[in-house]
Amino acid sequence: MWEIGGKKLNSRLLIGSALYPSPANMEESIKISQAQIVTVSLRRQNAGDKAGESFWNIIKEMNLEVLPNTAGSHSAKEAITTAQMAREVFGTNWIKLEVIGDQYNLQPDPFETVKAAEVLIKEGFEVFPYTTDDLVVATKLADVGCNILMPWGSPIGSGQGLMNPSNLKAIRKKFPNLQLIIDAGIGKPSDAVEAMQLGYDAVLLNSAIALAQDPVKMAEAFKHAISAGRLGYEAGLMQEREFASPSTPVVGTPFWHQFD
Amino acid sequence: MIEIIVNGQKQKVKEDINISEMIEVLEYKDKSFAVALNGTFVALKNYNETKINNADKIEILAPMVGG
Repeated sequence: MWEIGGKKLNSRLLIGSALYPSPANMEESIKISQAQIVTVSLRRQNAGDKAGESFWNIIKEMNLEVLPNTAGSHSAKEAITTAQMAREVFGTNWIKLEVIGDQYNLQPDPFETVKAAEVLIKEGFEVFPYTTDDLVVATKLADVGCNILMPWGSPIGSGQGLMNPSNLKAIRKKFPNLQLIIDAGIGKPSDAVEAMQLGYDAVLLNSAIALAQDPVKMAEAFKHAISAGRLGYEAGLMQEREFASPSTPVVGTPFWHQFD
Repeated sequence: MIEIIVNGQKQKVKEDINISEMIEVLEYKDKSFAVALNGTFVALKNYNETKINNADKIEILAPMVGG
């Protein structure tokens, strides 16, 4: 059990709802992952379009916590407007704050993200800011009142895993009391294990499951990976050593070794 | 008639229309959506009192998949 944004949850996986081969596959993948938080977005829709409405009906019936994003925003103002619209549509004050600063690697714009976070927190939002692994940006976000930080592992959808574990470790060390979630870049279940072993509270991912050959099976793999990584962290990892050390007792070694 | 831009598309609507009436005309009623007028969010409770003027830009956004 852990707590985020005022909710007590069992699963430490936040799962995306995009890019699945079909809505049915999305539903099954989310179910098997046992994720309790699903990310969604807002997009232009013509009155006659049915896709968005039927997607939303599936999600509503699954009884999950919904985390709307501000994807596509390039300024604090756009992100704030999107967040306000999302709060009304989805009926939640949770917002995944995403302000993109570079179109090529979809790197978040730290200046606009901090600006938007400050306004949204004052308006009563629980802000989940997508940020880089920069310690100073993380500090600025904490300073404006973020209880949650979501540094990237690597660029969105790249599947490159954790590019800079030492930066991520530094953020964990500096903010022991904030909820830290690795958002973006996770490609393999082992990346999620690594993130959790660093002491991160949760992992947010989408492409790694949705773009797998078998998303449903991969969703199950991530469920186990996140739980294994967390258990490993809680158990406390052994200290790495520069030298070898036998694990089998030396005392009682059979006599023939004594003549080596 | 005035010309407004809804989700990037030009639309002609009658003059002196408010957001409630526009939603009705464009057949969005009973769907899940939120509205922004010229880049600023308009809450549902303010639809009746928010008038639309010529060349206004309106965004009507609805739930969609996301990561």
